[in-house]
Amino acid sequence: MNDAFAHPVTVGIVAATGAVLLLAALVIGGMTLLGRGTPAFRRELWLRYGSWLVLLPLMFGPVLLGKAWTIGAVTILALLCLSEFARATGLFREYVTTAVVALGILAVNFAALDNWYRFFVALWPLTTVILLVATIPLDRPAGYIQRNALAIFAFMLLGVGLGHLGYMANDPGYRPLVLMLLAAIALNDVAAFTWGKLIGGRKLLPNTSPNKTVSGAVGALCTTTALVAFLGHLIFAGTAMDHWALLLFLGVLVSVAGQCGDLMLSSIKRDIGIKDMGAALPGHGGIMDRFNSLLLVAPAVFHLINYVVGIGEGQPTRVLTGG
Amino acid sequence: MDWQLRPARDTELSPVARLRSHSREVGLAGAVVQGLWRRGVRSYLRLFHQLDVVGRENLPADTPYILIANHSSHLDAMSLGAMLRGPAARRAFALAAGDVFFGSVRSSAFAAWAVNALPVWRKRTSSKDLNGLRERLEQDQLVYILFPEGTRSRNGEMGRFLPGIGALVAAGPVPVVPCYLEGAYACWPASRRYPRPGKLRLTIGAPLEFSAIANDKAGWMEIARQCEQAVRGLKG
Repeated sequence: MNDAFAHPVTVGIVAATGAVLLLAALVIGGMTLLGRGTPAFRRELWLRYGSWLVLLPLMFGPVLLGKAWTIGAVTILALLCLSEFARATGLFREYVTTAVVALGILAVNFAALDNWYRFFVALWPLTTVILLVATIPLDRPAGYIQRNALAIFAFMLLGVGLGHLGYMANDPGYRPLVLMLLAAIALNDVAAFTWGKLIGGRKLLPNTSPNKTVSGAVGALCTTTALVAFLGHLIFAGTAMDHWALLLFLGVLVSVAGQCGDLMLSSIKRDIGIKDMGAALPGHGGIMDRFNSLLLVAPAVFHLINYVVGIGEGQPTRVLTGG
Repeated sequence: MDWQLRPARDTELSPVARLRSHSREVGLAGAVVQGLWRRGVRSYLRLFHQLDVVGRENLPADTPYILIANHSSHLDAMSLGAMLRGPAARRAFALAAGDVFFGSVRSSAFAAWAVNALPVWRKRTSSKDLNGLRERLEQDQLVYILFPEGTRSRNGEMGRFLPGIGALVAAGPVPVVPCYLEGAYACWPASRRYPRPGKLRLTIGAPLEFSAIANDKAGWMEIARQCEQAVRGLKG
């Protein structure tokens, strides 16, 4: 805990987030006092705001508390997302398959906690193999392809994808990096919305997500890239990552993968014919609706950084299993 | 190949709204909790009530079906739910009084997560609700456990059956299995807060079928009458 605020970027992000929350409260409070906007709109804003007040400590708290907390929080997030994904797609009716995905998620996060990279990687094909054979003994081939396709999809996104976010906590300097990612994907959403409203113009992919515009996507790309490159410069000072081209690439990666994650979830929901993945977060919809961007960002960013400077280099490995 | 994405009926409900919803579907976590609860109840009924089940062969091999019984105690729904096995046990929903079991969020959570109950609101359950329950029964191949008297007997004597049961099965293929539970009133009457040990005997009768009875008020009354007669006939 003593290290929690060791990096100035950590302090900066936490302070900036607190400031934004305070400002938002003042703005919505002002609207309420002055009677601006319709009551329904103000209620929606307060609902969203209330959800953020609960969500932000749950997101930032574990990251600040330490590695085990971070990986624990990622595990819980992945299991909650699995529950939503399974209910939305109908996979939840397949108890055996859902159980194997849940166990796969637990195993991947255990490997992250253990800092055992080989096992972490081995679990991706191995869980797939177990999924493919798990329901064979039931002698019920009807729906075999569908349940396994959905299960592998869920495992890859929620087990493997989110698992990379937890694995980052094996690096002693993970706090500013993870907080930057959480802040950047939130900013990416807000920037896309704001630029889209300000400039408007052509729709991005009207069949997938009718409210997104090309101007919003490009605006978010520029805004998020600038923020990530700036913070990345502070986080990676003095390392091989601290090169303008790599930092810009990192920024583009966060923004593009974030927006793709959003569009991916929109595609899933459109295909099924539902509006939200759930209703766990008032004003937001489901938990997956809020964290969709993270699913693709985490592995993309992890492997870029791991390739260039390494993640958790020199740290003790297999801290739980030994060997 | 049959590729269908069929979301849970309650996908877009909040976790709290889901507890009281007739659309609630059970996932892996719910199935595990209910399986544990059922095991616990089975052990309890065996140890403290020496529950004896007669006529198990009368249970239909496949779902859907409806289990009905006389009602004098909370032990009734526990006994009927616990004696089911396999897929029928996992697909069983107990139709329970909304005001007793779904008053607070905490009791709703218990009723939904452990008992797998669906709320029926006295005098407030509309024909739309009943039709919804009827459709789900057939589409999802469920088992409903219900007590057509509508409330626990206050003197141990079986009361009149209400016609609601008719609206679920009239002119349809779903069979009704009559049951009679003996000893529950002595162990845990409505006036007692906690149960006391004592022998329970559950008799399961032959399934009744109502496909030839019209789905109207007169038909529902007739079905309620026949069900009542069948349950009374099982009394030893």
